[in-house]
Amino acid sequence: MGFLTPLMLLGLVAIAVPIGIHLIGRRRAKVVRFAALEFLLASKRRTARRFALRERLLLAVRVLLCAVIPLAIAKPFASCQRRGPAVLRGPQAAVLVIDDSFASAYDQRGPWLRRAVEEAHRILRQLGPEAEVAILRASEGADHSGELTRDHLRLHDQLKAIAPRARPADTTRALRRAAQLLGASNHERKTVFLLSLLAATGLANAEAAWDEHGPAMQVVELRPDGELANRAITKLTIDPDPSTGPRGVAITVEVGNFSATPLEGLEISIALDGAVIARGAVDVPAKERRTKRFLAALPPGERVASVTASLRRDALAVDDVRYAQAYVRDDLRVLLVNGDPRTTRHDDELFYLEAALRPGDRADSGNTVRTVTSDELAGVSLADYDVVVLANVPALGEKIVAELAQWIRQGGGLLVAPGERVDADAYDRTMLPLLPQGLRDPIDTTWGATAAEKASRALHLVKWEADHPIFAPFSKDAPELAEASFFKISLLGPTTDTADRKVLARFTNGAAALVEAAQGAGRILLYTSTLDREWNDLPIHAGFLPMMQQAVRHLARQHLHGGQREHLIGESVALPTADLRKLEVRGPTGSVAYEGDRLAGKSQVRFARTDDPGTYLVFGTDATGATGARSELTFAVNVDPKGSDLAPAAASALPRSGDASDGPSDQPTERRVELWHAVAGLLLLLLLLEGLLVR
Amino acid sequence: MASEFLDPIALARLGALPLRAKVIVEGALTGLHRAAMRGSSVEFAEHKEYRPGDELRHVDWKAFAKLDRYYVKQFEQESQLTVYLVLDASGSMEFAGGGLRKLDYAAMALAAVAHVAVGQQDKVGLLASGDRQVEVVVPARARASHLHDLMSVIEGLLARGGRGDESAAVALTRVAELCRRRRALIIVATDLFDAGQDVIATLADLRAQRHDVSVLHVLDPHELSFPYHGLTQFESLETSQRVLANPAAIREQYLAKMQAFLDRARGELRAAGVDYHLLPTDRPVEAAILELLIARSQLQPRAARASQRAVGGRG
Repeated sequence: MGFLTPLMLLGLVAIAVPIGIHLIGRRRAKVVRFAALEFLLASKRRTARRFALRERLLLAVRVLLCAVIPLAIAKPFASCQRRGPAVLRGPQAAVLVIDDSFASAYDQRGPWLRRAVEEAHRILRQLGPEAEVAILRASEGADHSGELTRDHLRLHDQLKAIAPRARPADTTRALRRAAQLLGASNHERKTVFLLSLLAATGLANAEAAWDEHGPAMQVVELRPDGELANRAITKLTIDPDPSTGPRGVAITVEVGNFSATPLEGLEISIALDGAVIARGAVDVPAKERRTKRFLAALPPGERVASVTASLRRDALAVDDVRYAQAYVRDDLRVLLVNGDPRTTRHDDELFYLEAALRPGDRADSGNTVRTVTSDELAGVSLADYDVVVLANVPALGEKIVAELAQWIRQGGGLLVAPGERVDADAYDRTMLPLLPQGLRDPIDTTWGATAAEKASRALHLVKWEADHPIFAPFSKDAPELAEASFFKISLLGPTTDTADRKVLARFTNGAAALVEAAQGAGRILLYTSTLDREWNDLPIHAGFLPMMQQAVRHLARQHLHGGQREHLIGESVALPTADLRKLEVRGPTGSVAYEGDRLAGKSQVRFARTDDPGTYLVFGTDATGATGARSELTFAVNVDPKGSDLAPAAASALPRSGDASDGPSDQPTERRVELWHAVAGLLLLLLLLEGLLVR
Repeated sequence: MASEFLDPIALARLGALPLRAKVIVEGALTGLHRAAMRGSSVEFAEHKEYRPGDELRHVDWKAFAKLDRYYVKQFEQESQLTVYLVLDASGSMEFAGGGLRKLDYAAMALAAVAHVAVGQQDKVGLLASGDRQVEVVVPARARASHLHDLMSVIEGLLARGGRGDESAAVALTRVAELCRRRRALIIVATDLFDAGQDVIATLADLRAQRHDVSVLHVLDPHELSFPYHGLTQFESLETSQRVLANPAAIREQYLAKMQAFLDRARGELRAAGVDYHLLPTDRPVEAAILELLIARSQLQPRAARASQRAVGGRG
């Protein structure tokens, strides 16, 4: 501590005055020799202490008063060294980069972000009104549209509005944007103030954010002392577990320990639809991850359930819980109608399709397949099936066609594939209610060709709807589909009285390969080639199995991927619209996050407002106007586990100060704090106290 | 009546204690024509019919001549009263708020009593308490010259001043021993500042032994009103205790305690049958003596007359 006018301290001798007065006053007390001292003592005992205390307090207050007056006039000040940036006032360009990732909610004697924002306010004030400043948030996907401005009021408001987001840090992107903003400024002095937890995961390639001509880098040291210990659930996967029962699921939880201390007996809680059903403990060595597997069964009658895995809360709570959707696959009941049964197994029309729908003929294939001939179809109860496949079936009678059409309108799915036994004219007469388009005579591309020419004349699949659920498993090029050769295909005639007709795939000659249409609540797929190898060789290509599996699931509106894939905050989620007319998504907070009612012609919608971790519920309105929860579309969104690792980045991971730095350094700086205001305040307080005591 | 009395301070200036005692007694008797504290008497009281055994010299022959019956004259018996004066000469009696010392006042009062008693041929003794080192005991005598001795002792005590913290109970116990065979009138002048409450208990014991006991509770007006102001250091007269206090802050509590002390002393003494008189030192001593004498005369019928009369007459 120092004094601007130390001579004034001579006034401190004045403290002798009250002391002297006190002593003299004591000595001058009248002396009375008194007989009834006993009564006096009895009275005095209670008041004597108070009296003595008051006298001493009064003396102390008066001494302090005499001391404080010269002290205040001497203008005391304190010097302190503060770490962090030295902020120069004046014309300049500066960008404040603030980490608002979910890690910024790290709670150690208060959330880290609160201190960062306070510090940012302070820097902004110190920069002064002539400084052009921009504020950039360092969370992944943050809006960086802000520009340099002298409107400091608005900047302060921006700072007040900053809150932790559920995204990991992407400080590198913010630093690059800061370099861009400052690069466009005409000021000589350009500074980036980085207020960050400096986690290495958010600073990948940050050292290259600018070159040697870049701005000055000022790292505001706000990282708490010591290690930022954190633990998190980094992965939550759910798989069917037939061994547990028809509704059994295996829940695998991966826990990451991002601290230097091993975690022993860390408790994991598993909740199904909000009710805790299991708890388990796991030991996680330092800086490692461990998985724990739980087996559970969904309640009877439920096909879908929300699963929540959670740990006991730590300083960073948002990553201590993870969400997922558990599905129990219902077996699809598929009726295959064989129009050309053969005694030789591999010559049979349905040999390849049966193999594709029940690979290895295993019970867990998810499909229950029954094969009948076209003659037997009349005696089959269609209500027992989800999907019917008409493979090379001759034209059916009007009665059975009407039954099939009615079944489709009620929600059934029909796949029609032609063959040698299909007569286009006969189909036109009776089968049109089951088709999106009428059939024409097939064309044989290899007719008259030699064996060598045959391959070159073959048609191939092109232009398929990559977003459609049937083609969702395939990549954009999908050689497993594109390499299949089609030698003979049925051409299509006029469209029929169906809705939402859409060509999902075409051949190289432009002819339709797969046409979809809606009929009431059901769906129809018309495949223009055979399901065996008679007209094409697709069945022996790898794409046949997933395409057929997806086709029957699509027809049965089974979208196995719905909600099972893990979605991270900020990712867009594709929601199959199926037959829905209207779709509504409600976020974890219960608010409507998406509402779409123009779904005609769309096979799916993309939902991008995944800003909060948790379970998103989907509600749909179908063609009949019925609205209800679409549990099969419910999906979960989680925080990106990479943001949970708060290990500090090396100093070399940060960009170096460039040419535009001219003075400020992050060395400790001397700062003078004037104390006379506080002393004057103390003086007033003492005067008040003295007044109270002498009253 | 009080205006006819002398101011105690003026009285104190009168010189020798015997003179002061005489002035006090004369002043007191101006208001009371006849001292009620009479010891012996030869006055006729009443007649009674003669019975064998009665002294013939008391037969009233004139009555026999008139009534032809033998009557015997009865007289009030001549009884010599023993009076013991107990003077509290402890340190606390040295206190003088603005006038007389309590010791002076007490001494004057007791001297006056002694003057009255000796004048009536009663035996008067004196004991003083306070100083543990010195025992002051003047045996009870009825001679006129004894009054002179008594006054000398009291004057000696006054000259020495109040000292020590011995309780008056010690002197009272000694009185009880001296009066073991005969009842006595015991008059105590004290401020009753006795930490152990022994004085009141001993006075009650004396009363239980059928002695007549009167207490002259001598207090200074300053002790009763506590009229001090400003920071004051109070020093004990008996011990080395000192108290620095702001009198205004403690006055209320002090007065309450003093009042409680007075009430308790008065209540306990009167309950034990002890005659109690509160004598502030600014009160004329004659008035105090007069009050004592009146109180004695009122006590006489109750306490003494019945027993004295029953003993018989003399001719």
